[in-house]
Amino acid sequence: MISPIPPPAGHAAPSRGRLAGTGNGPAFSVIDIGHPRYMAVIEPDTAFWVLVRREKLAETLHGDRLLKAYRRKSRQFAEEIHHLRFGLKPSAVYFNPTGRCNLNCTYCYIPEDVRRGGPHMSPEKLIQALGLLKAYFRTTLAKDELPQIVFHGAEPLLNREAVWAGIARYRHDFRFGIQTNATLLDDAAIEFLRAHDVSIGISLDAAAPAVADRTRRTWEGHGVYGQVVEALERLKGYPAWSVIATLSTENLRHLNPLVDFLHGHEVPTCLINILRCTLPRSREVKPDDVQAAKYFIRALQRTHELYRASGRKLIVGNFANILLAIAAPTARVLMCDISPCGGGRCFFAVAPDGDMFPCSEFIGLDRFRGGNLFRDDIPAVLETEPFKLVTGRKVEDIVPCNRCAIRHFCGSPCPAEAHEMNGSMHCTGAFCEFYEEQVRFAFRLIADGQLDDYLWDGWDRGMRETFRM
Amino acid sequence: MKKAVKKEKEKDVVACRKSCKAKGTGLSHYILMDRKAKKS
Repeated sequence: MISPIPPPAGHAAPSRGRLAGTGNGPAFSVIDIGHPRYMAVIEPDTAFWVLVRREKLAETLHGDRLLKAYRRKSRQFAEEIHHLRFGLKPSAVYFNPTGRCNLNCTYCYIPEDVRRGGPHMSPEKLIQALGLLKAYFRTTLAKDELPQIVFHGAEPLLNREAVWAGIARYRHDFRFGIQTNATLLDDAAIEFLRAHDVSIGISLDAAAPAVADRTRRTWEGHGVYGQVVEALERLKGYPAWSVIATLSTENLRHLNPLVDFLHGHEVPTCLINILRCTLPRSREVKPDDVQAAKYFIRALQRTHELYRASGRKLIVGNFANILLAIAAPTARVLMCDISPCGGGRCFFAVAPDGDMFPCSEFIGLDRFRGGNLFRDDIPAVLETEPFKLVTGRKVEDIVPCNRCAIRHFCGSPCPAEAHEMNGSMHCTGAFCEFYEEQVRFAFRLIADGQLDDYLWDGWDRGMRETFRM
Repeated sequence: MKKAVKKEKEKDVVACRKSCKAKGTGLSHYILMDRKAKKS
């Protein structure tokens, strides 16, 4: 059952809510964002925020202007956040056409035995699967909205024949993407993907082979840096591609050269994701929270220096999503940093045998198998206990997230990690300060008028302004 | 050409929020690039 919209402050009890902090008054939290002149004031439930000059803080907090502004907007913002958290329907599938991979990366969340010898989905079964998904999405999406299929891994290009058959057959029914380690991304593959408007994501962790090859290697222990860089060269000029780097102890101190390298190769967007600690092996390269934040923010600042010098942006998509969570919550694209996360409600994952999981991160955790695409009714699978465990994980039930001012900017990722590493859905994941520092940095950028510099050009096209002070 | 950097005039209080139809769909393992691929 969908949670009812909680009444915003001012409507819950017989209190006039004249003042912040008591009765029906808004529970403003004051946050030191590390800016020399501004502090943030946040009402967590509605993600309402303002930045206030430090010397004006007391006057602003207890004056009429802020309270009136909050009262005017609180219901609208509460509804907006509620819809994002509980009102969206699935519109994407992470589709693993094979269990196998030709690499043995340190932090992979797919079990080793599957990656060594897992099944391939046949072209016939893949076409059947996409047909089932097409029929399902007709019931959830408006006619003018295309669902997304992202071929993911393991390494999807090991089953190229089936993937190509699916894309060719359903090219007008889905927006397709593929995430690949790029070792099999030859000229013919790129030509096919470009011709079919397929978005391409490739994985690379560092600008130097000595670092990149620490975590991303073949089963025989050989690095693949050279092959990935060749693919980068081939993709130059293609607008629909991105690079994902996974932040670990192995590349933490090498992010700035990576940013320079990606910018130099005209990569339009990258993700610098902190690694997920879902499986024990990945925890061997888990970076310290504080160190991860420090180097990540330096890398973000480096993207800005490059933009100022060249006029060309390298967008760090996962950080851009945090900025959007603050400045335009409904525009966020990635659904890991919201609670409940997008797993099982905005998207789900399909394994090569048709088994369905709330998210790719759960493939390999049999307990989270909700059903099978070929045998079960999709809406029924979304209501199964494994899916409900994920879609029911809320920051309100997690300590300290339930009293954290930035809980709707961070979302306490990730349920798979929390469950496997920390033992419960009601625990946090592996990182906290990493997200705290990102949000503080995001607010500093807003205070300094640099929001646009870290987002795609035209990011707010078609949006309406709902609040300004 | 280098784009001029916008800077808010420093004010006592700064706040802005925008809205659009929510379409959030992605997990952080992948970001689907929206721009139409060029045919070469």
